[in-house]
Amino acid sequence: MNFDLSEEEQVVAELAQQLFSDLAQTERVKEVEEADGFDRDLWQALADVGLLGLCLPQSAGGSGMQMVALAQLAQAQGRHVAPVPLVASITASMAIAEHLPAEAALLTATADGSEVVTAALAEAGANNPWVPTVRATIDGESVRLVGTKPAVPALPIASHVLVSAVVDGRPALALVDTAAEGVTIEALRTTNHEPQGHLTLDTAIDVRRLVTTDGALDGLLHRVLIATSAVQLGVCEGAVAHAAAHVSTREQFGRPLSAFQAVTQRAADAYIATEALRSTVLNAAWQIDNGDDPTADVLSAAYWASEGTQKVVLAAQHLHGGLGSDVDYPVHRHFLWGMQLGGALGSATAHLARLGHHIATSAS
Amino acid sequence: MDIGDSPEEAAFRAQARTWLEAHATRRSDASRPLPLDEHVPAALAWQAKLHKHGWAGLSWPEAFGGRGMSSVMSTIFNEEMAQFEQTLGPLTVSLGMVAPTLMAHGSPDQQRHIASMLRGEQLWCQLFSEPGAGSDLAALSTRAVLDGDTWIVNGQKVWTSLGQFAQYGILLARTNPDVPKHKGITYFIVDMADPGIEVRPLVQMTGHAHFNETFLTDVRIPAENVVGDVNDGWSVARTTLTSERSSIAGGGAGWSVETLIELAQHTGRANDPIIRQQLAQAHCRSVALTAMGYRVRTAASRKRMPGREMLTMKLAYANHWVATMETAMTLLGGNAMLAGDDAIAEERWQPAFLNQYAIRLGGGTDEVQKNIMGELGLGLPREPSTDRGIAWKDLPT
Repeated sequence: MNFDLSEEEQVVAELAQQLFSDLAQTERVKEVEEADGFDRDLWQALADVGLLGLCLPQSAGGSGMQMVALAQLAQAQGRHVAPVPLVASITASMAIAEHLPAEAALLTATADGSEVVTAALAEAGANNPWVPTVRATIDGESVRLVGTKPAVPALPIASHVLVSAVVDGRPALALVDTAAEGVTIEALRTTNHEPQGHLTLDTAIDVRRLVTTDGALDGLLHRVLIATSAVQLGVCEGAVAHAAAHVSTREQFGRPLSAFQAVTQRAADAYIATEALRSTVLNAAWQIDNGDDPTADVLSAAYWASEGTQKVVLAAQHLHGGLGSDVDYPVHRHFLWGMQLGGALGSATAHLARLGHHIATSAS
Repeated sequence: MDIGDSPEEAAFRAQARTWLEAHATRRSDASRPLPLDEHVPAALAWQAKLHKHGWAGLSWPEAFGGRGMSSVMSTIFNEEMAQFEQTLGPLTVSLGMVAPTLMAHGSPDQQRHIASMLRGEQLWCQLFSEPGAGSDLAALSTRAVLDGDTWIVNGQKVWTSLGQFAQYGILLARTNPDVPKHKGITYFIVDMADPGIEVRPLVQMTGHAHFNETFLTDVRIPAENVVGDVNDGWSVARTTLTSERSSIAGGGAGWSVETLIELAQHTGRANDPIIRQQLAQAHCRSVALTAMGYRVRTAASRKRMPGREMLTMKLAYANHWVATMETAMTLLGGNAMLAGDDAIAEERWQPAFLNQYAIRLGGGTDEVQKNIMGELGLGLPREPSTDRGIAWKDLPT
């Protein structure tokens, strides 16, 4: 039993932290937000040090690492609220490498930073990503895809999107070229300025780009949920650090705010929620890589990420007073990211509903 | 990172399980908690048996009679032992708090007690809190005055767990009132058979008398029973308090999320969406605690002091206890308050509900710990104190 990072994982954590703290400073983040929300220089820098290929096989120019390492990278990104589609592109490329090994050229292009890939997993309405609604119909060598996907991360800048779909009543994944005929992309404005798109499909793909393997969608959802939770962990760390610095230095009634117990206790609650998230994210990441059935661990971490992060960023925001809402002060980005990511693939309640079904059913 | 058992750990776990199957009784629906006056001797006898067969003090240094294994091994053994009826609960103060303190601060003579505790021959209690010194423990007013080579102690202690059964106690008393409160306290070992000690049980609302009030009148303690240096008892006590928090956070409860789910199924509420949500939340809290436990154990096995992790875990454990009991009470409805032999489900839920205060207050209240967390975890400036630098005798009472 060893819950410490391995040497290799530690190197990833340090390298990522270094890169983001050098290249994702507040002024730069602001500049990118005002453009299209995608920092191409940072993206290239991540590719150049091998971080975009972190979880790809060595044959595709990657390092062959897994979720625990990806969590380190995602966490560092969250800490700096750095505007790059890291989770979307890396998790989608991991699924492509696993299920569509023939797409070697695409994988190499995602590892070297020349192309961004993403996955369209969220659903309209109740947003239950475990039950996709895009219909896939196999017709010989071709697959017809019809349907829509809301809020697809990085869609306006992606070359390919892995779409969750239903074929003969079973979930599947379909790799779609975003420039193909019958693929309509409508760019969306988002609260945290990350690029997203609404996807409408009435198109056909080669049957070799359809994944019908059992558990492929679950596996991708698990990775996206945990990588996103790791970003949220970083978002929490950043928010708590900002709040601690502020209440230690801001004086009212002749003493620092932290001298008031109501302030300290709120900050301590945020710290505890962050630590609960840290432990559950690492546990779930390891379970995805090594466990027999990581479902309950993944949903638990996703719950802490949704519920906990929203509490933490709210506390950090509150502890800053009015100052926190000023766009020239950095902490509001943590608030916006926390709120946005917390609902991305189902809220805390949705995770609980699924988990409740999982544990109360398997125990009976 | 590797959460699973290593081959060596897996082999040890199998060995432990085999031994336990042969020597202990597996928990079942028929398992009942023992009354305290039977539980104490049973726990001592169980400890003696563990010692005889080489399962005691697994992670303690060999110099103190332990096995010198990593703390992961003792956790593995405890995880396995939790499946059985036999528990060491009453020995928490002895094994979990006194022994680590004596290992760190005791004289060679005092450290001889450690081997006796390992053999299940001694039960210890803690004489720290006083009617006037709870969260502000360092304000304590029990006095010890040196008379030749004997300390004469007078005062009153409270919340003395199992004091009515203990042979020895660890005692904090004021030995210098003329210096600030933390600097005039001494840590003693006291023989509970001393004629000046009177222990009066405090019956709690659970119906049990786990706690006591302890009155000390001209109690004579030999000078060699001072642990650490005279007037340096606070630093010794910190070792005990840290150990207390970790004992609470790592302690076994008479319930688990699985038993809560069974209760929901048994009461026909497992499909109620609101109850389901609460079951799922309980599961999430339990996963977080398990994963925090991995962090604490990893730190301990690498000789790092898991101070912050321990504080976080104790608070998370208290939250878990309180919220889970709320769900259990909701499930039981009016039956929740049936007591004793009439209680539902082997008297598991009602005492645990009433006992939540022990978890939230023991080793420092949730709120005191959050203040400490502000300093340790967040690096906030220390809370301003109104009594810093003031001699204890000059503090307002």
